[in-house]
Amino acid sequence: MRRSSMTLSILVTVLLSLSFAFLSNANIASADGHEQDEARVKYRQTVMSGIGNNMGAIGDIMKNRLGMPAAIAIHANQMADSAALIAPAFKQRIMDGPNDAKAEIWQDWAKFEEAIATYEEAARGLATAAASGDPKAVGPAMRALGKSCGGCHKPFRKPKEESYKNQ
Amino acid sequence: MSAALIAMCIIMFAILPANATAAESLATQPSQAKLANGERIFAATGGCTCHTNYPGEGANAPQLAGGRALETPFGVFYSTNITPDPETGIGRFSDADFIRAMREGRSPNGEHYFPVFPYPAFAGLSDQDLVDMRAYLASIPAVKRANKPPDAPFPFSWRATITGWKLVNFDPQRIADDPTRTRVWNRGRYLVSAASHCGECHTPRTLTGGLDETLALAGSKDGPEGQLAPNITPHDATGIGKWSRADLVWYLETGFKPDGDDTQGLMSEVIEHGYANLPTEDLEAIAEYLQSLPAIENRVTRGD
Repeated sequence: MRRSSMTLSILVTVLLSLSFAFLSNANIASADGHEQDEARVKYRQTVMSGIGNNMGAIGDIMKNRLGMPAAIAIHANQMADSAALIAPAFKQRIMDGPNDAKAEIWQDWAKFEEAIATYEEAARGLATAAASGDPKAVGPAMRALGKSCGGCHKPFRKPKEESYKNQ
Repeated sequence: MSAALIAMCIIMFAILPANATAAESLATQPSQAKLANGERIFAATGGCTCHTNYPGEGANAPQLAGGRALETPFGVFYSTNITPDPETGIGRFSDADFIRAMREGRSPNGEHYFPVFPYPAFAGLSDQDLVDMRAYLASIPAVKRANKPPDAPFPFSWRATITGWKLVNFDPQRIADDPTRTRVWNRGRYLVSAASHCGECHTPRTLTGGLDETLALAGSKDGPEGQLAPNITPHDATGIGKWSRADLVWYLETGFKPDGDDTQGLMSEVIEHGYANLPTEDLEAIAEYLQSLPAIENRVTRGD
């Protein structure tokens, strides 16, 4: 075999294996990306459910008059701490699949972060009110927290008519 | 002589309550008790939230000055100005005018109101509650804003059509207490059926736009502003059968569901501006009545 043809065949082999490697990598990357997206959406929903669970627990204590103001403060502080999880969880613009995130989140990221900050402040406010031992302070703090949930859900979460849960 | 005087006093006393309504409408300052009851009934209606254009103008929308687009299967209707402005609002309404509007769906000059205004429910309100509610509405700030005609196709935009609609669908009923039930249950039924007009959104409608009472409060796909109105009968899987009494009271007070999620749509507004301001005993009455209803299986989703 002449030297030049040998070089050519080596070149072709290298190119072929490179392109094969590239293609299979691309395949892996896209399958991986899809699963990653699904996992990110699931993570978002778990984060939001965690916040909802704390809110539900506060409701359980208050509506059934179980007392436990210290527990209310812990739940409210956990809600406030969780505020820092929201923006990283929604960072990637993923709207496919069973998912109620609206495009407005990424169209107006600053407003989204502002709504999260308002929510964090309201949750911390409830914790302070519950810890203060003044039962009259809890009602207005609850209302402010409720409003802050809607302050993010109304502009950034699909209404129930469009929710994947109601299709 | 003194016997005649006593008799006169007794007669005067007997007449006075009957004339109290007219006398109070002339008085410039209604009593605190009257205003407080009027405000309570106003809260029980959900704060007449349809009359404030929150969706179009945000949180600073002029209160109760109307102009809110109400989408219905029959077209878009705009809520009216119910502030005390004499030209564009209801400032010139007498008590009798107000009662006729709320019970019969007719304006002071006899015009029919479009039934997007839930007078079939308000027909059940008592004289006292209506007169007190008018006194409360007369105490809020007046806003000058003209009412808008509907964007609805013929014949639904035509007031004469309402005559036919009323013949088929309008059977105004006062609500008499059921002596076999508790006072709380009767109060709950009065609030749910009349003041809070829950069925106007949560009961599906027939083809002619009347309420389908076979599915009373079992939810509607064509709720207000194109929203889904959930089944609020105590059906376990499709309604609120799994909610406790405390869950319901807490929900109407705060808008938080048992799972901690908040409320969306018009319901979040009627809670914030209305039900949240009701005394707990009224919320407990609403809960008791709703829980006593027959459970109806009806899943309300967009996909069906």
